[in-house]
Amino acid sequence: MGYGLSKNMDHGLWSMVKIPNRSNTNPQTPNTMLSNYIKIAWKVLLRHPFYTFITLFGITLTLTVLMVVTSFLDHLFGPHYPENKRNRSLYIATIMQTDSANTTMSTGPASFDFLTKYAKSLKSPERVAIMSNFTFSNAYTNGKRIKLNTKYTDVDFWSVADFEFLEGKPYDDTNVRNADHVAVITDALRDQYFGSDAETVVGKTIDIENINYRVVGVVKGSPPTRIYTYSDVYFPYTSPKSNYEQKGIRGRFVAIVLAKNSSELPAVQAEFQSFVARIPKSEYSNDKRFNVLIVKADTYFDHFLSMFTRSEKDRLALYAIVGLVLLMIMGLPAVNLVNVNISRILDRASEIGVRKAFGAPSKALLWQFIIENVFITFIGGAFALILTLAVIYFINSSGWIAYADLTINLPVFVTSILVCLVFGLLSGVLPAFRMSRLKIAEALKV
Amino acid sequence: MLRHLFKLIWNKKGTHSLLIIEVWAAFMVLFGVLTLIVFNLRNYLQPIGFQYEQVWNLELSSNQDTTEIASKLQRAMQRVRSYSEVIAASRMSNNTPFSASQIGNSVTYNKVDVGADFYYTDSQLAKVLDLPLKKGRWYADADQVGKFIPIVINQVMEDKLFQNESGLNKVIKRDDKTVYKVVGIVDKFKAKGQFMSDTPGLFQILEKNDRWNSNILIKTKPGTDANFEARLVKDIAMMLPGWGVEVGYLKDSRKNRENLTLVPVLIFLIISGFLLTNVALGLFGVLNLNIAKRKGEIGLRRAMGATEAKVTGQFLGEIWVLATFSLIIGLIFAVQFPLMNVFDLDKEIYIIAILAAVAVIYIIVTLCAWFPSKLAAAIHPAVALHEE
Repeated sequence: MGYGLSKNMDHGLWSMVKIPNRSNTNPQTPNTMLSNYIKIAWKVLLRHPFYTFITLFGITLTLTVLMVVTSFLDHLFGPHYPENKRNRSLYIATIMQTDSANTTMSTGPASFDFLTKYAKSLKSPERVAIMSNFTFSNAYTNGKRIKLNTKYTDVDFWSVADFEFLEGKPYDDTNVRNADHVAVITDALRDQYFGSDAETVVGKTIDIENINYRVVGVVKGSPPTRIYTYSDVYFPYTSPKSNYEQKGIRGRFVAIVLAKNSSELPAVQAEFQSFVARIPKSEYSNDKRFNVLIVKADTYFDHFLSMFTRSEKDRLALYAIVGLVLLMIMGLPAVNLVNVNISRILDRASEIGVRKAFGAPSKALLWQFIIENVFITFIGGAFALILTLAVIYFINSSGWIAYADLTINLPVFVTSILVCLVFGLLSGVLPAFRMSRLKIAEALKV
Repeated sequence: MLRHLFKLIWNKKGTHSLLIIEVWAAFMVLFGVLTLIVFNLRNYLQPIGFQYEQVWNLELSSNQDTTEIASKLQRAMQRVRSYSEVIAASRMSNNTPFSASQIGNSVTYNKVDVGADFYYTDSQLAKVLDLPLKKGRWYADADQVGKFIPIVINQVMEDKLFQNESGLNKVIKRDDKTVYKVVGIVDKFKAKGQFMSDTPGLFQILEKNDRWNSNILIKTKPGTDANFEARLVKDIAMMLPGWGVEVGYLKDSRKNRENLTLVPVLIFLIISGFLLTNVALGLFGVLNLNIAKRKGEIGLRRAMGATEAKVTGQFLGEIWVLATFSLIIGLIFAVQFPLMNVFDLDKEIYIIAILAAVAVIYIIVTLCAWFPSKLAAAIHPAVALHEE
């Protein structure tokens, strides 16, 4: 591979010498200079396809991993259907009972009663929705079994979560008050239970665990990764088996508190904390075992983290581990890139010598190398974009996550482009800087 | 020869430092991924110890019903057993095979304390899951009258708790009020699936009037379909109005459970596979350039009578020394894991992972150096010297 070097070098030198000559005949504008640099960069890339391939492979790989990961994180934490208002939502999902020494603890969702008393009564938020964590059930139709997830919600749930109704409408206060056997189902369940050719299913009944529910609405389903809104069937909380009557503070319900706008989140949290502080001890510590009650209204991300980390220390450890893994995944290709670039730039010493001998200033050479590297990074970025689209398309259509809606959105793309640039400069500036300061005689000698 | 090679590397430590960092980083990544793989592979190779293909899990929840739970559960149990499609059925606590729930506790024998997974079941579980007894027998309902609560433990539990003795018929304590007697020992029970490590487990008989453990495992005849399932759910729901009734297949939950392990491992494997390819390509490119630059030296050595093999050997030796430098740095980091017992893994796992990572690194650098040095060594001395 390196042995066709001298012949290729001649060709490279030719183009190198020719371009400044031609541009001398025109007045040099920054524009033509840039296009000249790009032309040179292009020629350099084609000169050694193998090294170009190595560089592109590294850049494409790193960026693809980065973009798929950010896209997945955005899918998990970003505001998406049906939790489009996540930016101004707070989640009250776990109650922790412990003692002051932290020796025993018990965590779990709250009871409907608790949330009605201390969350629903908050003054500052726009709305508070209460829903149960989803539970499993089965429905049977024509000897076929349909696995179901069921959820019990109040009426506000439908204003906090932006579900798209394909048919009908949500249940209302009257349904809840009368404890009607009604249900809202997803399009996937409709197709499975009633057949995809059924014209309209609103008003039909669905048999779940031997109870007939009247379908009042059909919504577009949501991915199961949004666990607080995801389900196949939604019932009013007064339906059978919801356990909303349960006494005590622990149960199976969760609340989403919707603030008027995201800047009011701290105020809502403060109000909730003041409510919690006023809960009489007798309500949660009747046997003296659990005398400390911790319940928080957290943003989705904080809430998610607190599921894995119990304390500030755990959280730091988690950040450290994730950071280390990312550093390895990003750092290895970066070191590799710098390594290849440095080796190659030494290889190009004589080319630099010739250019300097013809009167090119160090600055021009530096610019050439920077642009060359940024250019190849952008090509790598473009490949990565295509590859990411392919991977995301694959994930979305593979059915690993039902209703997966991974997308490359603007923030993800901008981050990737920025990272792209950092990489280009990191692997471009360092070796180029060293090279451009080489003395002509030295450079020519190498 | 070795000292000469060290000298060669040391003289160019500036240029080589980046290569050393790269090989070191590759080693660390490999070590991490291989630890993950070795850990899961070792678990995977051990059988789970029971049969689940035909077994269903019927989950009952009493919801707001609070009256006569125990007798209702017993009636439901009788009903389930009465179907001709059912071979055997057993009640179990909610940590059924492949479920996410866990119940842990520790027991003491002779001042040895062992933490174990507790499974509360009735006398039929061994039949439902085809759990073969290694020693002793499975507990029967008649054992309930005895002074001690009958339990069955698994092999690992016996090894850990009784060291070298046999555990059969020994009496062990959970606390002052609860005293057990071991009536049988099973080989393995990896309830969370193939990827679970074989940890201590303990089966305890359910009290007759138990009302908290409302899962029923049902072994069905082969060929039983959803029609029977629908009938079963309907009958039970009629018997127990207001109760939640849910049926799951163990083979489905096993798949879900194992995917939880398999998918992250696969993702790491793919990413690190690409990373290593990247490193290998880069290494190849760098070595190719470095060796090509030393054509004059090669020509001279060849003219002085060194064979092709000797020249190739020198370059390979150089890269091995370089790799050894990086690996020594890497090992300083890696041995901390078994020494400090990080993540509570078996030391053996770390050691296998370290050895495998070292081997893979040597293979990669050898492959990357071999081709360029072979090419360079094959050059005719006259040609090389002429260029110089």
